[in-house]
Amino acid sequence: MNQAPNTYNNDAQAPSELQQMITHSVQGLFAELVSPEVMARFDTGQPPSELWQPLVDHGLTAALMTEAAGGSAASWLEASPILHALGYWNLPLPLSETMLAGLLLSRAGLQVPEGPISLIQTGRLGDLQLSADGQLDGRCLNVPWARSCQWAAMADCGGRIALVDLRQIGVKLTAGTNFAGEERDSLEFTNVPVQAIAPLQVADVCEPVWLFGALARACMLVGALESSLDQALAYANQRVQFGKPIGTFQALQQQLAHAAGSIAAASASTQIALHSAGLALSSEAGQPTSLTFDVAVAKVCAGEAATLVTSIVHQVHGAIGFTHEHSLHYSTRRLWSWRDEFGSDAQWAEVLGQSAISAGSQGFWAALTARDLPLQTPLTRSASHAAA
Amino acid sequence: MQALDIRPCHLDAKTDALRTQVREFLAEALKDCPPEQRARNWNGADIAFSRKLGERGWLGMTWPKRYGGHERSALERYVVLEELLAAGAPVNAHWIAERQSGPLLMKFSPEVLAPRLLPAIARGELLFCIGMSEPDVGSDLASVRTRAEKVEGGWQVNGSKVWTTGAHRSHYMVTLLRTGPKDPGNRHAGLSQLLIDMHSPGVTVRPIYNMLGEHDFNEVFLDNVFVPDDFLIGQPGDGWRQVGAELALERSGPERYLSCTQLYLEMLDAADPHDSHHRVSLGRVAARYAALRQMSLGVAGMLARGENPATPAALVKDQGALLEQSLPDLAHELFGGRRQPGSPLDQVMRYLTQTAPSFSLRGGTREILRSIIARGLGLR
Repeated sequence: MNQAPNTYNNDAQAPSELQQMITHSVQGLFAELVSPEVMARFDTGQPPSELWQPLVDHGLTAALMTEAAGGSAASWLEASPILHALGYWNLPLPLSETMLAGLLLSRAGLQVPEGPISLIQTGRLGDLQLSADGQLDGRCLNVPWARSCQWAAMADCGGRIALVDLRQIGVKLTAGTNFAGEERDSLEFTNVPVQAIAPLQVADVCEPVWLFGALARACMLVGALESSLDQALAYANQRVQFGKPIGTFQALQQQLAHAAGSIAAASASTQIALHSAGLALSSEAGQPTSLTFDVAVAKVCAGEAATLVTSIVHQVHGAIGFTHEHSLHYSTRRLWSWRDEFGSDAQWAEVLGQSAISAGSQGFWAALTARDLPLQTPLTRSASHAAA
Repeated sequence: MQALDIRPCHLDAKTDALRTQVREFLAEALKDCPPEQRARNWNGADIAFSRKLGERGWLGMTWPKRYGGHERSALERYVVLEELLAAGAPVNAHWIAERQSGPLLMKFSPEVLAPRLLPAIARGELLFCIGMSEPDVGSDLASVRTRAEKVEGGWQVNGSKVWTTGAHRSHYMVTLLRTGPKDPGNRHAGLSQLLIDMHSPGVTVRPIYNMLGEHDFNEVFLDNVFVPDDFLIGQPGDGWRQVGAELALERSGPERYLSCTQLYLEMLDAADPHDSHHRVSLGRVAARYAALRQMSLGVAGMLARGENPATPAALVKDQGALLEQSLPDLAHELFGGRRQPGSPLDQVMRYLTQTAPSFSLRGGTREILRSIIARGLGLR
């Protein structure tokens, strides 16, 4: 129909060779590694630490690291199939945290230690302070996988990245978990030195752990959302009531279509944010980018989709989906957890809303098309205080 | 899920200059247009305005030059559309002709009707309406009863159409009707589309007033209307396939999420930046706008690549209508009981609250769209 030449840019359309390679390698790997036994064992409190080495051997933990540090220097878009698969298969290991830590540490020129690495953003979820001379004091809540990690990569709001040994004297750990049983521990630091520290300014990003952490969670949410929906679709096509598969009933079809719509919104906005992450990482320090706006949108959409889709997939599954024996809860408990982490949808929405209100009727549309609603970060003070 | 994966599509720098031109034009053309007029969005019709767009080459943008088009890209067209809609420009007069009737004629009557009619559409002079629904036929379009009998040199049409938007001002109606007998084995056989000149003898248009008391849609009665052979679109029996292609175009555009934009803008101006409820609620909407815009662009990208966006278009329209319809309710939630009577917010809210129920009916009901999506998901 359209006989005119097309004007569009292909960069985010066709997956790169590296992305195809990564997609291909993770699909089979995760299906094989994350067996029902692994998940059952994890729910009795035993993380599958034996799966870590295969992830390292396949280069997944180092996917985002610079080549100088021995990584693949993949872009976020290229590495995103790993995060998606992590969500889809519910892998209970600190892979996204280690990938992001590797990115930040290697870009700051710091040595990336072996093994899983946790993440800390100062100024969030607690009153932890990193002093000018690299001393840590204060508390930090919900630190992902702290028990399983000897090291954490830490960012402050002043453009510094630090490597911290979590097993040193002066670090007190109180174990906790999210709804899915994944370690989310509280740490209290008393006059603790960091092991290394260096400046790192990524474009206009002020809290890199928080922002990229939210992006990683958005990707994982999309993976887990698709896993939930796939399970619900399979169940609806197979479960027979009143003489036919329940998926033939319009009541169910309407709900599942609604779920698919909100997943598509989460997925499309996450794709855009992944693309922006690549642009931001190749920008000059301080250069304005749309990354914060795009991540905020992605985390809001993914979080809202998690809320809607968990409700629908459980309704479709009926009582069996509520049992521990059925696999559905592995996804839904993670959806309920991850929508909360690195800023909930309401928290990110509040930042967007504040900015939209300041743009007003005259400025909103121009800002939306430019994806340039200047967001006030860190998030409002009240958000971090309420959590502490 | 592969079927519903909407790949983002990035606008290139070439579109920035065009966007600036459109904004400058709109700033001038709409400088006296008040918020309650802008709230009409693509329901507002102004033929003089449509002609101005035609003069600037912003109608029929993607069409070949021999049809009066401008051979621009689908994404350049998208930029013009979204700018017009976001500004609340009165685009309804030409909207249907430019969006779906022109492309339909180009595809199914490339040598006869398209060269004759498209140049006038691209000038903003020729207005079309769509005769699909009938008094007893709404979502179930394959059951249409309007018939065309073959006669010497053409067809004789009898029947009636309903909910025909803009029939009272249109020059032509693309009319879905039955030209062949019903086939119990194939409900979609025997349907065709004829182009009916609204000034033909036997055509009667009767207004239907909506709940606001306004006149947008109509009943159209066809009583022994003669339609010449040339005005058959495509071949007899092509009707169902044509309607499917048209509905994909009808559902795919940015008009499917931007209809309540003026209300959102008024809410931003009326909001209290110190009220966290206002910030969170309006921020959720901002995120939905950003996501819908990317999905809508993704569908435009599919059209640009010549792919069939029927299922993604249904999905984007469903999500878009949810956004549009949430806004009057949000305005009630945030500003109910304390609006200044007669304020722009009050006037815009009054109009859009009472218009919003139609947003999940027009162009395919929510239920039909979700059935299409469900099929795309592999449910039967």
